[in-house]
Amino acid sequence: MATVKLTNVKKIYGKDTVAVQDFNLDIADKEFIVFVGPSGCGKSTTLRMIAGLEDISEGTVEIDGVVVNDLQPRDRDIAMVFQNYALYPHLTVFENMAFSLRLKKVPQEIVYEKVTQAAEILGITEYLTRKPRALSGGQRQRVAIGRAMVRDSKVFLMDEPLSNLDAKLRNQMRAEIILLRQKIDTTFIYVTHDQTEAMTLGDRIVIMKDGFIQQVGTPTEVFDMPLNLFVAEFIGAPKMNTFKTDLVCEGGKYYVTPYGAKIEVSGKKAAMLADKKVGAREIVLGVRPEHFKMSTAGDPAAIPCTIKVNEMMGSELHLHVETATGDRLIVRIPTVSLDDEVRHSMVYGATIYVTFEGKVMHFFDPETEQNLLV
Amino acid sequence: MKRLSALEYLKLNKFQAFLYNLKLFFCAIPLWFCKLGRGILNFFKNCGLAIVNEFKDIGYTFAKGNWAVKLSFFIFGFGNFFYGQFLRGMLFLLFEIVFVFFMFVPIGGNPLGTGLYWLDKGNWFKVGDTVGTVQGGFQYDPIYDTDVWVPGDDSVKVMLYGLLTIIFIIGFIYTWRLQVKQCRICMDITAKGKKVRSGKQDMKSLLDDQFHKTLLSLPLVGILAFTVLPIIYMVLVAFTNYDARHDGYSNLFSWVGLEHFNALFDFGKGGLGLAFGEILSWTLMWSFFATFSNYFLGMFVAIMINKKGIKLKKLWRTVLVMTIAIPQFVSLMYVSKLFDSSGLIGRILGQIPFIDRYLDVNHFTSLWDSPDVAKVLLIVINIWIGIPYIMLMATGILMNIPADLYESSRIDGANTFQQYTKITLPYMLFVTGPYLLTSFVNNLNNFNVIYLLTGGTGNPINTDIGTAGGVSVGHTDLLITWLYKMTLGSADTRYYDASIIGICVFLVVAVLSLIVYNIIPSTKNEEDYK
Amino acid sequence: MKKTNDTTIHKTGLGARASRRLSNTVIYIILILITCIWLFPFFGIVLESFRVETTQQVPYLFPKEFGLDNYIRLFKETDFLKWFGNTAVMGIATAVLQTVFILSMSYVLSRLRFKGRKGLMNFMLILGMFPGFLTLILIYKVFSELGLTNEMAPVGLIIVYCASSGMGYYVSKGFFDTIPKSLDEAARVDGATRWQVFYKVIMPLSKPIIIYTVLMGFMAPWGDFMMANYIAHQTSDGMNVAVGMFEWLSRTNLNTHYTMFCAAGVIVAIPVVTVFLFLQKYYVEGVTGGAVKG
Repeated sequence: MATVKLTNVKKIYGKDTVAVQDFNLDIADKEFIVFVGPSGCGKSTTLRMIAGLEDISEGTVEIDGVVVNDLQPRDRDIAMVFQNYALYPHLTVFENMAFSLRLKKVPQEIVYEKVTQAAEILGITEYLTRKPRALSGGQRQRVAIGRAMVRDSKVFLMDEPLSNLDAKLRNQMRAEIILLRQKIDTTFIYVTHDQTEAMTLGDRIVIMKDGFIQQVGTPTEVFDMPLNLFVAEFIGAPKMNTFKTDLVCEGGKYYVTPYGAKIEVSGKKAAMLADKKVGAREIVLGVRPEHFKMSTAGDPAAIPCTIKVNEMMGSELHLHVETATGDRLIVRIPTVSLDDEVRHSMVYGATIYVTFEGKVMHFFDPETEQNLLV
Repeated sequence: MKRLSALEYLKLNKFQAFLYNLKLFFCAIPLWFCKLGRGILNFFKNCGLAIVNEFKDIGYTFAKGNWAVKLSFFIFGFGNFFYGQFLRGMLFLLFEIVFVFFMFVPIGGNPLGTGLYWLDKGNWFKVGDTVGTVQGGFQYDPIYDTDVWVPGDDSVKVMLYGLLTIIFIIGFIYTWRLQVKQCRICMDITAKGKKVRSGKQDMKSLLDDQFHKTLLSLPLVGILAFTVLPIIYMVLVAFTNYDARHDGYSNLFSWVGLEHFNALFDFGKGGLGLAFGEILSWTLMWSFFATFSNYFLGMFVAIMINKKGIKLKKLWRTVLVMTIAIPQFVSLMYVSKLFDSSGLIGRILGQIPFIDRYLDVNHFTSLWDSPDVAKVLLIVINIWIGIPYIMLMATGILMNIPADLYESSRIDGANTFQQYTKITLPYMLFVTGPYLLTSFVNNLNNFNVIYLLTGGTGNPINTDIGTAGGVSVGHTDLLITWLYKMTLGSADTRYYDASIIGICVFLVVAVLSLIVYNIIPSTKNEEDYK
Repeated sequence: MKKTNDTTIHKTGLGARASRRLSNTVIYIILILITCIWLFPFFGIVLESFRVETTQQVPYLFPKEFGLDNYIRLFKETDFLKWFGNTAVMGIATAVLQTVFILSMSYVLSRLRFKGRKGLMNFMLILGMFPGFLTLILIYKVFSELGLTNEMAPVGLIIVYCASSGMGYYVSKGFFDTIPKSLDEAARVDGATRWQVFYKVIMPLSKPIIIYTVLMGFMAPWGDFMMANYIAHQTSDGMNVAVGMFEWLSRTNLNTHYTMFCAAGVIVAIPVVTVFLFLQKYYVEGVTGGAVKG
């Protein structure tokens, strides 16, 4: 239970390879923070700097108001779960979980109590006498979490804890981590490359790229108002469609003109555009696949395109379509909204017409890639 | 030369590709030298920069430091005391006291301190002067009424103590620099308002973030004392005339400069140059055959044992491994005798008419007497010794080759032989590239096999070379066994020649390693087969 | 058309099986041949050690008269027992000390990061290119001053074997490199100092390499002739088996000592082979791992 504060943290490898740039973040007590980004973005490095496993090149890390830059990991009062579990192969599950307590020379009865309690919560009581190699991936992961749990530490660090599990187990463990979080009420810092994990777990998400923080915000914030193209494309699956088009201003109303169609900007977005006094200009428009809908040939807002790939996901269709100019778009259509006949006609090469709502688009500057509405 | 793009390269047929690579290789040589030159230049530049930085740092420390820091330039550890690091301060101070006492305080009636005394006696690098100043000799002793030996200096000792003193001085300068640097670090830390480490923390850190120092101390002291120091000493010997007649004790030896190196260019009979060249060529040949015959045959045996459907795998392996377990000198010396004129195999072979006549014509009594036969025998017996190692190693690697590679190649239509040449061999060569290099170098220095098989009795003397370096050279002698004989101590031992040859062996090994290391792919594309 | 197809398949199928059987037979023959060649010297040495009728080399393998004469002479007339004891003591001491040296060095180089690590490795690599025994010239001189050459030669030799053994860190470093780094990190986060990481986490996992290193250390003095001959050639009391027995096969002693050499060889081989066969698994792991790691 502690706050964590990072001020201008920088990590430089060797002479000039910068892994993390000017990282500033205030993590509140008991907050669940997720660092997310593509591999090599510096998220793990940042976590490891907080843990004390990497030197901090510049800046300070504070835990509970104390600068910990020069402290050894063991003096920082943190717990950490590793991607490959890092269980001690020669120790039983019990001893694995008790390891940190043993080092502190905690009396046996307390060790027993704490370990069994944690094992209870994680449902691994029956494996306590086994060696890690006799456990499945999911069970090992639980032991790793349990080992971190018994420490009652100020900060709970998790470095891609789910990425070595298969998809099904991952979903299950994700739900369990959410439950776990209710039980062990402490500060969490969680690193992942998977945006779904980030969205579902985090109170706040820190999106990183090339060592820079791109955006910090709640899942809703980063989804609804991505600060730049990178965040827009990174958050949400399938990823947001982005394409160059023109913003037109006619009679106090804004229109966008993608691929010959003309769609009016409406609702909050229009107001915000007016507020920011954005004039007619070239923009990069972002539209999420689920915001597309089917249209017809006569509609002035319709974009004609040909189907290249049709992915039937059950409750919805993912259509990879090509516009007249050769751009690729991904369109997500709920299956319920389509007649059987229409569905069957959606084959390779068929032409369809799609459009989208005026209130759900995102506007980015083609040069700076920043959101025009921020 | 024009470089082809990846796609253009793919257009070439095998022969063209080979030519292209050959051309590339030779064109790269000047570039390689350029790079080497630049590397050396950079090294010196960096060294220079580092020295300049050191001096800047020293100057900075002196300029910015308070009186305590300034004082610590003369009294070791004063800065540490000032900033509260008593343990470090004490150690530094103790070191300085010991040093001063050792160097400058005269004891036992000599006007100089112990260190200076020994240093002075060495006459370091003064060509023509003796190492040590007092020659021992017989003097009349009235008590015994005869001449008795009155010992003088022992050059070996004088040189050793001198060397130790020099090392001590270097250590002193380093320590001085170390504690000045620590003053600066303490200054910086205190300026930031933080606390410097206490002695207790220092001790604790030896088990934690300074744990490497604790673990390294013992092995490093061992290496420094028993390898580095003697090697420096031996290199120095090359510049003296240390030999059986000038053994330092009954006769002081002296500095002669580069004089003995001239012998390296003496290609006449008995000349070091001739002997070195002849022996080197056999050594390289030996190493080449020993390494590759073992390698391929061992791999072959491993493949046979590992083949699907072959039973009793464990038995075959254990039989071979047995040979590793038995101390080499037992098996080697026994086998050596087996092939001797009165040995079991030697006799049988000697009765084969062709061999019999060959031995007769040349007046050889045993197979070991014939230089050529002896060399072949060595390589063959070495196969006997070496195959088990390679077999074990190859077995491990073979099991690591993913089975699906073989399956997919079989579906692609490869037969067993093609599988071997296209999958097994490249994989093996890649993985064992570094091992082959080490193995080659080890064979260059394969003392046991050569010396135990032929060193004792059989070695046919090479009369073309004659006596070189104070010993007679055999046809089968490697550089290492030759060197060994040179150092064994006889009436004609020349340690300086041994030292010179030692340096040459070092150069040969270093150059070979460097070249091979640059050629083998394993060092470049480490991830290719992972 | 279909029929012919079938028969060809059938034929090649049979052919493949037959050729496999043929190749397996050839392999068995080669393997048996190899076994014979490899075991021949050992059979020879054991058989000859029991030969009673003569002490010389003879043109036949099986003794005409079996007996323990050679063994009895060995213990009665020679210093063999002394040499054997020396070597055993050296073997045990070297096994212990060398393991400490090598493991410290390789652990540090593999798992700890510090300034000068690369430099240290390069330095030792270059140092290793120098012919090692040249150092003996000085070491011998110093040892004889210190009295570590004659009867005390075993002590001197132990020092020689162990002092620089840190340079042979390659195989065990290769082993340590394969232990995931995250284990250290997990332990450190759990509150362990590096020393605790070393003895509570890594050492318990390193049983194979510890045994391998001990085995190598134990075997070194049994087979060493080069160093031992240099340090211990003066007094019979200080010799190891190799140096002691070497003279038995010289031209002058050959005819009187040949069968005794065989007997001594058998006795020397027994402890080493026993230890080796028990720990063979670890040796194999060491050799393979070391080669793959380079």
